[in-house]
Amino acid sequence: MFPKVAIVGIGYTPFRPITPDVSFREMVFEAASKAYEDAGVHPQEDIDSFVTCQDDFEHGRSIWNMQTPDNLGAVLKPIHTNCGDGILGLIDAYMQIKSGLRSIVAVETHSKASNVINRNHLIAHATDPIYNKPLNINPYFIAGMEMNRYLLETGTTKEQCALVVSKNKTNALFNPLAAYGEKITPKEVLDSEEMFSPLKRLDMSPMADGGIVMVLASEEKAKALTDKPIWIRGLGWCSEAPSLETREWGEAIYAKLAGEMAYRIAGIKHPRKQIDFAEVDDTFSYKEPQHMEALKLCRRGEAGSMIEEGATQREGEFPTNVSGGSLGVGFLVEATGPQRVLEVVLQLRGEAGGRQLPDVKVGLAQSWRGIPYASGAVMILSKE
Amino acid sequence: MPVEKVTQVSQTKPWYGALSSKYGEALLKTPEPGLYGQYTYGIAGERFFREIKDNAKITGAKCQKCNLIYVPPRIYCERCFEGLEEWCEIENKGEIHTYTIGWVDLDGSRLEEPVILALVKFDGVYGGIVHKVEEISADNVKIGMKVSAVFKEKREGSILDIKYFKPI
Repeated sequence: MFPKVAIVGIGYTPFRPITPDVSFREMVFEAASKAYEDAGVHPQEDIDSFVTCQDDFEHGRSIWNMQTPDNLGAVLKPIHTNCGDGILGLIDAYMQIKSGLRSIVAVETHSKASNVINRNHLIAHATDPIYNKPLNINPYFIAGMEMNRYLLETGTTKEQCALVVSKNKTNALFNPLAAYGEKITPKEVLDSEEMFSPLKRLDMSPMADGGIVMVLASEEKAKALTDKPIWIRGLGWCSEAPSLETREWGEAIYAKLAGEMAYRIAGIKHPRKQIDFAEVDDTFSYKEPQHMEALKLCRRGEAGSMIEEGATQREGEFPTNVSGGSLGVGFLVEATGPQRVLEVVLQLRGEAGGRQLPDVKVGLAQSWRGIPYASGAVMILSKE
Repeated sequence: MPVEKVTQVSQTKPWYGALSSKYGEALLKTPEPGLYGQYTYGIAGERFFREIKDNAKITGAKCQKCNLIYVPPRIYCERCFEGLEEWCEIENKGEIHTYTIGWVDLDGSRLEEPVILALVKFDGVYGGIVHKVEEISADNVKIGMKVSAVFKEKREGSILDIKYFKPI
């Protein structure tokens, strides 16, 4: 009775540290044009509804999510604006189609992070105005505190986190979309400047700009539009308390609960066996092992050794962040989650070029909203 | 060595050349008049900061149903959503739940002396206080270390009435 939902079109601009050549509107126009071409649809004639995901001020302007109808071809059409990570936008579109309300929905996210001169102030403004913000400190201290507690509780080491950076930046060398691919040793990561100890400068993903648009369709429309639909099998989302004082510091509970929800919907009992590869949030190096454990891709405290043994490498038993992750691609603000979904779609379609994984059928994409929040989403996609 | 890429549009001079100079200036200067606001402390915040101001004491709020004491206090429980009416005094003796050593300031410039930042939790309390830790070197601070709040002599009802936490 409820239709299956597939991703039938993808469009994106390469992710770059800066994009002084185009305005955000032109960037989204490019991504949208590619997505519509890929899906074989016209925004005004074929698409029933649109979703856009942007946070205020992340691009140097307020009430940002109202800025997209024109560059998406969505003027005079239904559009949902969502202040959150783009996977939530894909979930929104999924629900519109699943319920039978719409047949074809387009979802837009982008990052124009280079327009914000000092992001620290922006994030500081998101911390509690009476309990935290008066301390007048760089808000990235939150990541340092979280890393410290996570390492203590699980026995994961700084060296293992440095391996994540080395792996992801090397993976990014094979991703022509990635902005920060390079051959880098774990020692170089450990030797980089102290930022919020134990967090070093190269443990932190640098910012990038880019636009991503995806077209989702019901089973009937998907089959008519494309011979390579990628099906959304499971989805989950969750937020912990927003206060720094009461949230969990050693474990990513938001990812654990979002993962459990997605596995339930997808009918997955043994994630490591039933999923072929994963794109998990690695905004900071330690987030990759922390999220892998939360998503039950290994037991708690075991992600570090799994990384050490090479299991998460591109050629490993469970490839993780083959795209390069945020450390290699760049942190794309609200487009960070969709970049992970994009990689899963490219891999499942067999269009991942030099980094193509052989014989992959099911992939997982996960997002974290980033500091200062403990909130995230999960999406499971499959070829069949 | 790792490649350093430009990540700020302000560092790409030609970009400004394509725009009116006023726009560039507006980005870099604090506009006058600017965007200002205020934030309401609320019932629980009022209580918390008044106790700090008047008596240099930390206040919590207790959820009878969940048997949780919230610091900072609040008027509802985030777990069971019941209203909280019981205030309680918290002993000024906490423990470092986690910490970090910060080497850069809010503007991103490197600090001459690093700052220790911690989440301090109290015995039997859900929550805690995020603050600076002083009177100890960065090398010696540990998770689990016992600390207490050092209050200012002259207090005005702010989290800054606590100067910092120090090891006991």
